[in-house]
Amino acid sequence: KMKGSDNQEKLVYQIIEDAGNKGIWSRDIRYKSNLPLTEINKILKNLESKKLIKAVKSVAASKKKVYMLYNLQPDRSVTGGAWYSDQDFESEFVEVLNQQCFKFLQTKAETARESKQNPMIQRNSSFASSHEVWKYICELGISKVELSMEDIETILNTLIYDGKVEMTIIAAKEGTVGSVDGHMKLYRAVNPIIPPTGLVRAPCGLCPVFDDCHEGGEISPSNCIYMTEWLEF
Amino acid sequence: MTQAEIKLCSLLLQEHFGEIVEKIGVHLIRTGSQPLRVIAHDTGTSLDQVKKALCVLIQHNLVIYQVHKRGVVEYEAQCSRVLRMLRYPRYIYTAKTLYSDTGELIVEELLLNGKMTMSAVVKKVADRLTETMEDGKTMDYAEVSNTFMRLADTHFVQRCPWVPATENSDPGPLPPAPILVISEKDMYLVPKLSLIGKGKRRRSSDEDATGEPKAKRTKHSTDNKEPIPDDGIYWQANLDRFHQHFRDQAIVSAVANRMDQTSSEIVRTMLRMSEITTPSAAPFTQPLSSNEIFRSLPVGYNISKQVLDQYLTLLADDPLEFVGKSGDSGGGMYVINLHKALGSLATATLESVVQERFGSRCARIFRLVLQKKHLEQKQVEDLAMIPAKEAKDMLYKMLSGNFISLQEIPKTP
Repeated sequence: KMKGSDNQEKLVYQIIEDAGNKGIWSRDIRYKSNLPLTEINKILKNLESKKLIKAVKSVAASKKKVYMLYNLQPDRSVTGGAWYSDQDFESEFVEVLNQQCFKFLQTKAETARESKQNPMIQRNSSFASSHEVWKYICELGISKVELSMEDIETILNTLIYDGKVEMTIIAAKEGTVGSVDGHMKLYRAVNPIIPPTGLVRAPCGLCPVFDDCHEGGEISPSNCIYMTEWLEF
Repeated sequence: MTQAEIKLCSLLLQEHFGEIVEKIGVHLIRTGSQPLRVIAHDTGTSLDQVKKALCVLIQHNLVIYQVHKRGVVEYEAQCSRVLRMLRYPRYIYTAKTLYSDTGELIVEELLLNGKMTMSAVVKKVADRLTETMEDGKTMDYAEVSNTFMRLADTHFVQRCPWVPATENSDPGPLPPAPILVISEKDMYLVPKLSLIGKGKRRRSSDEDATGEPKAKRTKHSTDNKEPIPDDGIYWQANLDRFHQHFRDQAIVSAVANRMDQTSSEIVRTMLRMSEITTPSAAPFTQPLSSNEIFRSLPVGYNISKQVLDQYLTLLADDPLEFVGKSGDSGGGMYVINLHKALGSLATATLESVVQERFGSRCARIFRLVLQKKHLEQKQVEDLAMIPAKEAKDMLYKMLSGNFISLQEIPKTP
């Protein structure tokens, strides 16, 4: 009898080990091992008390628990990484980092512009590598968690999607500080290429009832209060 | 044409030309191409009035005619051309900035009259300018002619197509409507006139063909009692050239915003050099060598050749990709990437609309989706770093405003 349960334990342990640091859900363990639920639960409790496995709450579905080997670091997809503390997305923290990175890049670009050197030097000194930004943020000490260079790169990417920063990738010799696989990512603060476009500077571009407006209707250009106000500059 | 566009055309025609022209014009916009009698019948206006209205519309390039088989002439309205009337003030203002008051008035006269001879324009503009000058001073015809020629050289005004002079004295039966032609090299050819008294008859065209607008002839016969030296040579404003100018301005200011003043001046110089040599719909300008650009920089712009080369290299390497390097001869051959530039400007305009309408976080999602083409809900949340609930809300707001579309793909098993 003992041997039987040992074999089952070994099987479950194997399945959990195979799942690596992503962990595996108890239901999936059942499918893989074909053992009844009650048995699985008994074995899992056993292994947990022997400190061979542990349960980690998954950030993707807060009710789900995944099991993994005790001494493994759970993968980021499970814990949410640096941006999650206890399943909550720390949007304020992300926002602060976003602003700080941008300010750093902005100042760098401004200093480069004001240095009035020849244009090549001006441009090159307005760039900062992801490593430089990472070092700056770490030294600021605003983060309680340790942030990796990749974490900073995800923040810098959001600045790209904000249209405030542009990125170039250059080839870098292996061993250069901040280079990954022979490449380095450089970031630079930029201005938008056009001012806010004409349509949205007139009231119509932002009007909530744009689609209902037509001459002769209840909402029309001639009796529009926004238009009257706007024309009275 | 949408209902709103037709309504706008109707209002424009009414304001500029009156009710009858408006009726005929709108009818043609709605129904497409039609012959004279059908127009008269369908709109219930007399044949005479329809003819007059069509004259006005053709004079202003708003209606074109075509001879179909069996000799039927059909008239077609150009709705987009009618809408261009909204831009007249901007065209006039552009002429003012480039060629001062003289240029402004020349373009204004041409736009208001549709087509005019050069002598008529010069006389009219000189009279108008003299009126605004101090007592005793007058505007010399020569100065106005000069400005007119500069406008023609830079292609802002062009000659109207005309009836080619026939070789044989007996042309045979006249076609139902004159076929007007113009060759590329004649389009900007200014007739040699000395407009201080006498002028030479340069070219006479077949004015007596049927269908020639009566309104044009009566207007000119009342204006000058003396024989007009350039009779039959009519000029019109070249709207496409103005559009090209606006395009160039947009590109230059984009470069100024993204880089600096000097870079934008270099780009402006390159565009100015390509003004006439590159067709307006081309994807790239002609390659320009760094030496040529250096020679064409505006007088007083003191940058050394070396510095210019540096700027050109920077422009060519910039992620904007407005300028490209096409070769190494002559110190480096550079082109302006027109299609890319226009595409980037269009994208920036879209992003600006989303930003002002929905807020900067929505703008972030919009730019993200624009770059990555297709994304799942979860990917949007992760890459934009916006909490799931807010991201979902924003995506649906943009979805209902038709800025984003949704496509379901079956999950791969």
